[in-house]
Amino acid sequence: MKKYIINRVIRSILAILLVVSIAIVMLFTMISRTLVFEQDATIKKLSGDKRTIYAYNKWEDLGYLDFEQMSAMCKEESKDFGSCMITGSDENNRVVSLYKDKGYTIQYLNDGTPFASRDYTALELISKFYSRLIKIDNPTFVKDEDNKDLKRGYSIGLDHNNLPAIMCSGCEYQYQLYVDGKFPFIHQNIFRLDFGHSFPTSQGIPTIDVISTGQGKTVNKQVKFPSGNVSKSAVDLHTCKYKASSTLDHLDKNKFNNNYANCQSNYDSPSMISTSYMFGILSILLSYLIALPAGMYMARKKGKWQDKVGIAYINFLIAVPSLAFIYFVKLLGQGFGLPDKFPQLGYGNIKSYILPILILALLQTAGLMTWIRRYMVDQSNADYVKFAKAKGLSQREIFNRHILKNAILPIVNGIPASIILAISGSVITESVFAIPGMGKMLPDAIKSYNNNMVITLTFIFTSLSIFSLLFGDLLMIFIDPRIQLSTKGGTR
Amino acid sequence: MSDNKFTFVQLEESASEHIASPQYSYWKSVFRKFFSSKLAIFMLIVAFSVLLIAFIQPIFSKYNPTIMPHINDRTMKYIRPNATYWFGTDDVGNSLFDAVWAGTKNSLIISLIATAITTVLGVIVGMFWGYSKKMDQIMIQIYNVFANIPFTLLVMVLMYTFGQGMAQLIFALSVTSWLGTAYFIRVQVMIIRDREYNLASRCLGTPTHRILKQNVLPYLVSVIVTAISRDVPLFISYEVFLSFIGVGLSQKEASLGGMIQKYSVYLQSASYLFWIPVCISAFISVSFYIVGQTLADASDPRTHMV
Repeated sequence: MKKYIINRVIRSILAILLVVSIAIVMLFTMISRTLVFEQDATIKKLSGDKRTIYAYNKWEDLGYLDFEQMSAMCKEESKDFGSCMITGSDENNRVVSLYKDKGYTIQYLNDGTPFASRDYTALELISKFYSRLIKIDNPTFVKDEDNKDLKRGYSIGLDHNNLPAIMCSGCEYQYQLYVDGKFPFIHQNIFRLDFGHSFPTSQGIPTIDVISTGQGKTVNKQVKFPSGNVSKSAVDLHTCKYKASSTLDHLDKNKFNNNYANCQSNYDSPSMISTSYMFGILSILLSYLIALPAGMYMARKKGKWQDKVGIAYINFLIAVPSLAFIYFVKLLGQGFGLPDKFPQLGYGNIKSYILPILILALLQTAGLMTWIRRYMVDQSNADYVKFAKAKGLSQREIFNRHILKNAILPIVNGIPASIILAISGSVITESVFAIPGMGKMLPDAIKSYNNNMVITLTFIFTSLSIFSLLFGDLLMIFIDPRIQLSTKGGTR
Repeated sequence: MSDNKFTFVQLEESASEHIASPQYSYWKSVFRKFFSSKLAIFMLIVAFSVLLIAFIQPIFSKYNPTIMPHINDRTMKYIRPNATYWFGTDDVGNSLFDAVWAGTKNSLIISLIATAITTVLGVIVGMFWGYSKKMDQIMIQIYNVFANIPFTLLVMVLMYTFGQGMAQLIFALSVTSWLGTAYFIRVQVMIIRDREYNLASRCLGTPTHRILKQNVLPYLVSVIVTAISRDVPLFISYEVFLSFIGVGLSQKEASLGGMIQKYSVYLQSASYLFWIPVCISAFISVSFYIVGQTLADASDPRTHMV
């Protein structure tokens, strides 16, 4: 069994790596790279050489290519920097041809200065992505010239709320492991995923931060700073990062007694990930609440009019385009005075949630009802059901106590998968209701040519769905130990 | 009772050779079964008329979303549906009737071609996949990788890389969904692979492709029709969805999804602009789905017993 799980986990990871790699290669080689500037405000203000240099610098940042200006080339390859920098000199020509031999393309600015660029190969693109993907925070992280006698090491102490925490000096984050009242209660800053920066929307912010930090307005609270100062502020002290001594100002020094002063803020609205999760999980609960009794009832009344009505409903949901269905339910909901866009009433009002959750749930009921009905009908021909009937049990007792227990197994198996589907399948619902979640982020990122964001979301959605299938299988073994996933001999 | 009341009957050699069984023709039975459903006939008529109008009307209207002759004529805009403009006019003064049918044509072309590619590829690969155990070992690993990835995500990333357009959309839809059809067929083939008549064929030395064509394929007809009837509305739904979020067809090409997206802002002021394309897309999907499902039921020989 252990062997099977290990094998399965390895396969799952390989699948994720394969898909993400294909996505990276496709996005970076097949989409015209000038498109990334489509929505960039900065490049529109530039012209001539400045524009060229800006574009190449951005492409290097985004990981398209390796860009070398003349000064960088001379620093790298020439001993005589002065003469190397003179365009047309022998030294200059020598360095340029050296770079040409290395596989770089040499181009010339308007003033005749050469510069070199080299597109990364598919393999380089992939290896660059994975080499920076997982970041492990460690006490040697900080490299600050002005703060050479910084103590390095871990310590266990109490944080500003007097709760235990593992702290680190010399790491990027001060709090490595801490406890607070927010889900999932224990938080860590040791492992972080780095997918690069978002561009051109949310410029300069790591993509993972764009989707995982709060949204909306900042919330001010009474905060007791490490220096003992108490003031109203929005900072979340648990998220403080190291700030180089040269950039510390007197405000920071007032509040903090060390260099960990670069903190994130508390916001009044949850992040994109939490928003999507909230909608996903609530809609799953609702869809099971609707589909489970409905499917059971249909199976019990198989062939009667109740069953036929149910089948008609399922066929309707399958046949009608989901977009048409969403707008149809939305129109009905507006009749009851519910808002047609999420931001109208926002996070604080329960009315904003009713329609999106109802729609997400109803869209899933068709599939669930079909399967529940199928399993129950299949089970109702089993020998134990005939035996129960012979013993004189009522139809209701047989269905609720015997068949359901056996039919629930495949349904349990599907729960994790449907949670994932709810999250990724909410793309359209989130777009229609303008809900600021991950589902809406994907088309938004695509429309603004935000490659890194698309890769981040591909990674997240793929890993979620692959691991959810694994958890579904494990959950099934947990509930019914008779089931074995690994096959022993005798396979065909 | 006397002997003269009886006459001798001539013995007919040919009649005794004839096996008395009711006449049975597969396709005749399929169509008899199909046309016994009134709903299916009605939906078939709906589907046919939609197909005809969608492919004929655009030839006469020559609608092109980039040509806007009435863009400066305020009186031509937002005319409610009436006798001259059956579906009214849109925000640039073009007739919505022309626009809707041009969009329907594109949606149908995409859906039908994608379904054809998916089905042909899926059935051929699926049959060999289900029949050959060696191929199964490789294919199941490939399937495990790709089946777990959300379909929406794959299509969106593909459309993003290849750009907007009809050929790209057909490619993205078929390349992501043929594996699902192949898997579906594989399971069906595995069920009947080791039936006695197939074993017998194999013992007699029938080559694999012949067994697949003569023994397995006829069994799959109803399964394939089911798959097709599910795919056509699904692909229409996907075209609508992708154009709606802006990665399907571009605004230069008429499409139902693009229209729904463009007119969703008029939901309050000129709601007919929005609801007509939505209703048309729902009409197509429902009629094709019901016709397909009934045909699938009718093509299952088990339903032919009276």
